[in-house]
Amino acid sequence: MRCDIHHKETTLLGAAPSAPRGEASLHDLSITVNGQVETHRVPANLSLLAFLRDTLDLTGAKEGCGEGECGSCVVLVNGRPTNSCLMLAVEADGAEIVTIEGLGHGKRLHPLQSAFLGGFAVQCGYCTPGMILCSLGLLLENPDPTEQEIRVALAGNLCRCTGYRQILDAVKATAAALKEAGLRPEDTLPGRKAGWRRAAPGGGDR
Amino acid sequence: MPPFEYRVAHEVGEAVALWHDAQGASYLAGGTDLLAMARLGSARPSRLVDIKRIPALGEIRAHADGSLGIGAAATVAEVARHPLVRADFSPLATCCESLGSYPLRQRATVVGNLCNASPCADTAAALLALEATLRVVGKREVEREIPLAEFFRGPRKTALRKGELVVEVRVPARSAGARGFYGRIARRRGVDISTVAALVTEVPELKNERFRYRVTLLSVAPTPLRVHEAEKILNRVGLSDRSAARAAEAAQAACRPITDVRGTAKYRREMVGVLVARGVKALGGTPWQDPDRIEGR
Amino acid sequence: MSPAKKTATKIATGVATKKAKPKRSNPPASPSTRVVGHDVPRLDGVDKVTGATRYTGDLKFPRTLHAVVVRSPHAHALLKEVRLDKARRVPGVRAAICGKDFPYHVGIYLKDQTVFATDRVRYVGDPVAAVAAETPEAAAEAAALVEAEYEPLAPVFDVMEGIAEGAPLVHPDLGSYECVPWIGPSPGTNIANHLKIRKGDYLGALARCHRVIENTFVVPQVQHVPMEPHIAIARMDKSGRVTVYSSCQSPFTVRHLLSACFGLSHGDVRVIAPTVGGGFGGKAGVTIEPIAVALAMRAGCRWVKLAVTREEEFYAVVVRQGLTATLVTGVDRRGKVQAQKMHYLWDCGAYGGYGVNIVRAAGYTCGGAYEFPNVWGDSIGVYTNKPVGSAYRGFGMQEIHWALEQQMDLVAHDIGMDPAAFRLKNCLGPGKSTVTGQILDEHAGRVDLCIRKVRDALGSAETPRRRYHGRGMACAVKAPAMPNDAASSVVLKFCEDATLEVLISGIDYGQGLRTVSAQFAAEALNLPIELVRVRNEPDTDLSPYDWQTVASRQTWATGNAILRAAEDCKRQLFAMAAKALKVPVSSLQLGTLEVVHPPTGRSVPLERMVLGYQFPDGHAIGGPVAAAASYLPEGLLFLDPETSQSAKPVAKWTFGAQGVEITVDPETGQITVERVVSCYDVGRVVHPGLIRGQTYGGIVQGIGTGTMEELLLDPKTGAPRNATLVDYKIPTTMDLPERLELHYVETAQKDGPYGARGIGEHTMIPTPAAIANALWDACGIRLSSMPITAEKVRAALAAAELEVPF
Repeated sequence: MRCDIHHKETTLLGAAPSAPRGEASLHDLSITVNGQVETHRVPANLSLLAFLRDTLDLTGAKEGCGEGECGSCVVLVNGRPTNSCLMLAVEADGAEIVTIEGLGHGKRLHPLQSAFLGGFAVQCGYCTPGMILCSLGLLLENPDPTEQEIRVALAGNLCRCTGYRQILDAVKATAAALKEAGLRPEDTLPGRKAGWRRAAPGGGDR
Repeated sequence: MPPFEYRVAHEVGEAVALWHDAQGASYLAGGTDLLAMARLGSARPSRLVDIKRIPALGEIRAHADGSLGIGAAATVAEVARHPLVRADFSPLATCCESLGSYPLRQRATVVGNLCNASPCADTAAALLALEATLRVVGKREVEREIPLAEFFRGPRKTALRKGELVVEVRVPARSAGARGFYGRIARRRGVDISTVAALVTEVPELKNERFRYRVTLLSVAPTPLRVHEAEKILNRVGLSDRSAARAAEAAQAACRPITDVRGTAKYRREMVGVLVARGVKALGGTPWQDPDRIEGR
Repeated sequence: MSPAKKTATKIATGVATKKAKPKRSNPPASPSTRVVGHDVPRLDGVDKVTGATRYTGDLKFPRTLHAVVVRSPHAHALLKEVRLDKARRVPGVRAAICGKDFPYHVGIYLKDQTVFATDRVRYVGDPVAAVAAETPEAAAEAAALVEAEYEPLAPVFDVMEGIAEGAPLVHPDLGSYECVPWIGPSPGTNIANHLKIRKGDYLGALARCHRVIENTFVVPQVQHVPMEPHIAIARMDKSGRVTVYSSCQSPFTVRHLLSACFGLSHGDVRVIAPTVGGGFGGKAGVTIEPIAVALAMRAGCRWVKLAVTREEEFYAVVVRQGLTATLVTGVDRRGKVQAQKMHYLWDCGAYGGYGVNIVRAAGYTCGGAYEFPNVWGDSIGVYTNKPVGSAYRGFGMQEIHWALEQQMDLVAHDIGMDPAAFRLKNCLGPGKSTVTGQILDEHAGRVDLCIRKVRDALGSAETPRRRYHGRGMACAVKAPAMPNDAASSVVLKFCEDATLEVLISGIDYGQGLRTVSAQFAAEALNLPIELVRVRNEPDTDLSPYDWQTVASRQTWATGNAILRAAEDCKRQLFAMAAKALKVPVSSLQLGTLEVVHPPTGRSVPLERMVLGYQFPDGHAIGGPVAAAASYLPEGLLFLDPETSQSAKPVAKWTFGAQGVEITVDPETGQITVERVVSCYDVGRVVHPGLIRGQTYGGIVQGIGTGTMEELLLDPKTGAPRNATLVDYKIPTTMDLPERLELHYVETAQKDGPYGARGIGEHTMIPTPAAIANALWDACGIRLSSMPITAEKVRAALAAAELEVPF
């Protein structure tokens, strides 16, 4: 997000930034993505988002604006929801990353995924991975959030389709289901052995 | 993103040396402003010096003299949830929670928000009111202190000399126990730069058992603004509906708003008055209430 | 028997409040359906929640080139020369092209645009040239080296200026453009289209009216802001065939328009639409695809990827048209509107290829949800040197309802009538006549029921409330605005195990088309929903034809085609079963996964017939069961060119109403939408969970355009001032009202699948006008221009001399 100085309005025209100067430095990167250690050599100016999408082909995280305003690119970095478009891949050296691909699969969905699915909290789906990971980041910090706390945490994740109502309900349903199953949100992270399948909320409508 | 070199500094001296070692280097903390600007080409660093791996810079701690120290790599989210901040310097926690979005606050740093020197920097409202000081390190590890009140020189302009690195922002012990009311108007409720914001802060003074007041404004001048004239009124006569109106007028007189896409100068000036008055009334234990608000019509 | 009794009308209710737990399926499903009317899981849901869905930008092609478009910095100028030599010399550049390379016209209804500007640029952002290079950085570097010479001309930024005598002409060659016969540009002016409605004797009726009220309302240009910006990836192979992957709403229309533009056979253009990340009309018709294709034609069989940035998305692709509406209403002593004049001036922006049809739709819907006996209507599209106006959810309806629904309140207050009662007195319904003279039948939907539902939920004027708390209501109506021959087709085919594959080419960009298509097929063929697979990766080479996914037409049009194809499959199955069981076809019934002969209790499993039936002696009959079917709404008639009268100009109407409750902070001008009540006559709720999603989404999008959205241009240069998500704000979770109450009326649509009619767009139409009416109710001020920002409210309160009390 840019805090624009208020003396200059944003006017963006025509061709993008002109000629690049110099070369990007190259770096050996070793990070854990969804429980797997990845080592790659990357240029300095590669964003974490581009690294995940282009190098690892984990295309769940999306670019919606490239400036941290839409939240489509949110992944967990060391358990914290992070706009991966505003982070360099090299900065993530040694970090633990969780992307949407690291949560559930097919019939073994993560509790948040099944709540989003069951509560019809998904429409075009472009914001969904970021929305789910930001919600997971919230639950890791606060396993029993109020609706207001969910609204505050998700206010940086834009969705143009759903009007948010069913998304908020899905997050609430997940928190309740985890509580009922006696699970902590961190038990649902990739690589954890705990049987989070027990907590699969109907998520509202199912 | 245009190409640049990336270097990690492990101590402060190394960071400053790495900056001086290249033409057009920038320090990299949270990167939430810098990388967005690099993408658009409005910042073109040749080298980024990452200061987040300098252990001391990540700390938030109480110093022996009772002051609060916030390292340059401490994130806005970390500061907002820190027990010491919440207990003794709550206006800072409030302002931190108003900055950007939840994911963004996990990366953005308080010091970065200050160094960006935007007139709408949320953390500046609190830190100006709490009379914070910046600890700055320059070439050959020469260290100096800059009171935040002297730091902002204009939009995106600070008192930093070339290559100087802010290592810590320090909030003095005398500001402990502060309480504040942060009024903020933006175009929507969630995540937006303020069109105008005002923080009215009350700081207990133990030696004479009374309160001192601070009034700070955002987005209504080339820099975040502290309004001493309004504070004098409150310090002299205390909190009342009458002093609220007078402090509001003083704040309106002191601000220098412009018209831009977020609002007109006229609206901003008017809202400075509304928000300052509300802040004073809220601190006075009478939360703002519409005097005309009655059941039925 | 009254017509109302004849049709089964029922009201289904679903309420969601902050505290309420989400319910199970909310409307009582009709006992006659097993799948339709029930919540079934989204067919594309698992892929979307696991990140497996591949959108266009997620696809990878070998050695893809990256494209950057060079755009005009001038709002209006002659383009003297474009020099590409320096750009071509940048290492890694594989193609650099401009207008003189591809001087071809493109446009869906009026071909007023070229791939690149050729001799004239018409808005800030007009494409002038494009480059494709090995890396995004090289493309950006080359684009910056393209040299264009301009001779600035006087721009037109306002519709009133645009129609004034002697205004600079945005399109001096307007007369030479190709155009469909039902659009009427006026050469020598800036008028791209003009639709006239003349019904009854307006002037005569006006003279006899008790009160005459005139007001003007303004709507600015806004942008769709789909979360996925436009992207297209194109390649031309050695044989000259062009393949395009595009995030678009209409792959077949894109194919058609690309073929026409580049003079290619339709057989040599293949358009594939992967999953689309939101469109809202902005990806209808053709948008950025011609630029990607032009680059691909010069890039030597390489894939060329053109992904517009969020900034470009705001001003350089398409926006919603602006509107200046002047309404004159003449009302008699009993509160019946006798004469209504509507003058709509649409800001088409620089090109009106698509927008001209919004002008037309707004014309034949100019009276909204009301019966006006005497009408003088003009809907005029005006070119300006501003971003390109195009389709946006509602297709002009939110804009005209902003004017019309405020006017209804103003007239009601003027004559001392309750606004809801005034609406009920004047609203359309069975037997009433629209502005084109169409008499609605008993299947047309019941806006009166929607008004009553919303009125009752909001409470009467006597209901106590706080100061600065207001209630307001607005109605909505929309018909599909499309060519009379717009069609959808589908293919149904069975797998060996009786799994049914449904091939459709409508775009499921979130509304749930795949899921409702499966529901229709499962219902019609009595199959378990799990056995229905919807194949929906529209590929013009392989998929059945579909005109476009616009106009809230897919559930209805694709649904009807599916029902026809299912009938055909059933016929094939019954023919085999009749022979297998040696009984007449007429005695057979469709059981679950079998065809049953009830008199004997014998049956044949579907699995034994779907690839043909084999008798015990070895001889086989029939063959793989499959059917193709299409749906085209028959019987639609053109409008009369002078008066626009027509007995059946459109296929169907969907009506509804919304009520809102707001509070106003009189000191800051900030408003809070606390509660929204909506009611739509949808014919049939096909899927409760999905229809609620459409409704919530529409309401919140309506709050966006109603209270915060506006594309701001520099008044001198026409350059965008807020073309970023930093400064163009759309609603967040924090902007969602606390209480949302959704109701649906089900007056079956005669030609709708299981009675369903379209609802996708309608949910955002009335919201801004309802908020405006609530604002008046709360504090007696009225804003004529959208959006209702805090600053405007505060200024209006100040003008009304309501002092700030501090």
